[in-house]
Amino acid sequence: MVATGEPLLRAEALVVGHGGRPILPAFDLEVRAGELLVVIGRNGSGKTTLVRTLLGLLPPVAGRVRRLRSDLRLAHVPQRLPFDPLFPLSAWDVVRLGTVRRGRALLVGHRETDVVARALEAVGADALARQSFGALSEGQRQRVLLARALAGRPDLLVLDEPTGALDEVAEREAVETLRSVRAERSMAVVLVTHELDIARSAADRVLLVDREGGRVLVGTPFELFEHEAFRTSFRPPLPELASNG
Amino acid sequence: MDDAAAMGPSWAQFVEGWSLYRDPILCAAICGAVLGWLGVHVVLRRMVFVTAAVSQAAGLGVAVAFWAAMHLPWAISPVLGASGVALLVAAALALPVERWGLSRAAWLGAAYVATWAGAVLVGDRIAQQAHDVSSILFGSAVLVEPAVLHAVALGGLIVLATHLVLQPALVLCAFDPDGARVQGVPVRVLEVVSWTGIAAFTAIATRALGVLPVFAFAVLPPMAALALGRRVQIVLPLSASIGLAAGVLGYLLAFFGELPVGASQAAVSASMLPIALSIRALTVRVKTTGAPGA
Repeated sequence: MVATGEPLLRAEALVVGHGGRPILPAFDLEVRAGELLVVIGRNGSGKTTLVRTLLGLLPPVAGRVRRLRSDLRLAHVPQRLPFDPLFPLSAWDVVRLGTVRRGRALLVGHRETDVVARALEAVGADALARQSFGALSEGQRQRVLLARALAGRPDLLVLDEPTGALDEVAEREAVETLRSVRAERSMAVVLVTHELDIARSAADRVLLVDREGGRVLVGTPFELFEHEAFRTSFRPPLPELASNG
Repeated sequence: MDDAAAMGPSWAQFVEGWSLYRDPILCAAICGAVLGWLGVHVVLRRMVFVTAAVSQAAGLGVAVAFWAAMHLPWAISPVLGASGVALLVAAALALPVERWGLSRAAWLGAAYVATWAGAVLVGDRIAQQAHDVSSILFGSAVLVEPAVLHAVALGGLIVLATHLVLQPALVLCAFDPDGARVQGVPVRVLEVVSWTGIAAFTAIATRALGVLPVFAFAVLPPMAALALGRRVQIVLPLSASIGLAAGVLGYLLAFFGELPVGASQAAVSASMLPIALSIRALTVRVKTTGAPGA
């Protein structure tokens, strides 16, 4: 069990990019147990590349990402899962896959069954358990994937725009679920989102990715929203464009 | 013309010759069941022609083993030859060909054509063994040597046990490889273990039954099972059962119809697909309207 505030993951002079070409300047970052770190930035700013590098799914262009606990448990809810809809899995089966870990590849037992049921309940998806995952709506799939992530009891959960496919009520419920699970388990959450309200009201810290300005900034919501980089990145549309559209 | 001969083989003849037919039927049942199970992973990854290329490579390996026995001072076991060439081709198929500007599908096609041509060319050089080589390529082997049956049983047991134990992790790797990596699952190691097992068993089964039925067992029962089952825990044993049934019924069809064994087993496997699709359509109709005829 990790203690709240304990450092879990550290990025040191990390440069992210594709094929050895950097898309953002070097930055340092420490993710701590129990915190909600919200990642914001314009479309195409490199937010997904950044979190995929933190997760070890992409190699860093320079610098490194250190896991500060050998038994660190990670989970990831991608923006969109490129899966085959014909894959014969129910929502229950998908959530159960969240309990598969190194050294625990054997068939799951009773304890995992409870974990799966609780994870589905936590995201309000228990009614979907028997349905085919491929037949679910985009929003329902996202909820099931969130349940899968929770079923793995992660120390650090990374969500890449998970609320994009959710309606307003479901989105509020998802954020509320994350808040309660985080408090209960000292789980750190890195949330990539376009919802600035979530960043403003719920985040402990905000990471602003400003590709155009060549900056990666980390701070409290207050510090970041007052920063000139934020105002430049998220400046309102010009009046004539706004009135046209 | 004798009436009995015109009617073809009878059950009495089959029972009388059971000691001869037992091993090939057992062999077909094991191969059908194991390949049916493994084939679900292959079909779900949309890599069905990997099995075709690997089984064709195994055929080449057997032909090379026969050729070596005739022309070289040492002999290679046909099972070893099949496994060696099959694993070599499986490793070649795993190469990162996209880096060389080639598509994976084209690479697969090249491997299939090259091994097919190789098997025909080597077969041409060993005229004395032409019948054996033809049996392997087209699956017309009526009898199975005890050593081959033992290899099929042992290989099938090992590969199936490995897949059973690793099943949740293998399903996760196929469904969401990135998610699996994030969860700490050693995706690459599992892929190597899984595909090595599939390639090795395909080679052993090809030596026993031939290329055609092996490819059929690895593709058609999984397709039928996927048409019927909505959960992988059901699809896997269902596919294995369909494969087993196709192996046995195919042999019986060949015996009573006096037809080539491999083609009969492939035909029975293929017949399972429309049956499965009909059952699926009927089930959907019953669920939506409450009655089959409504």
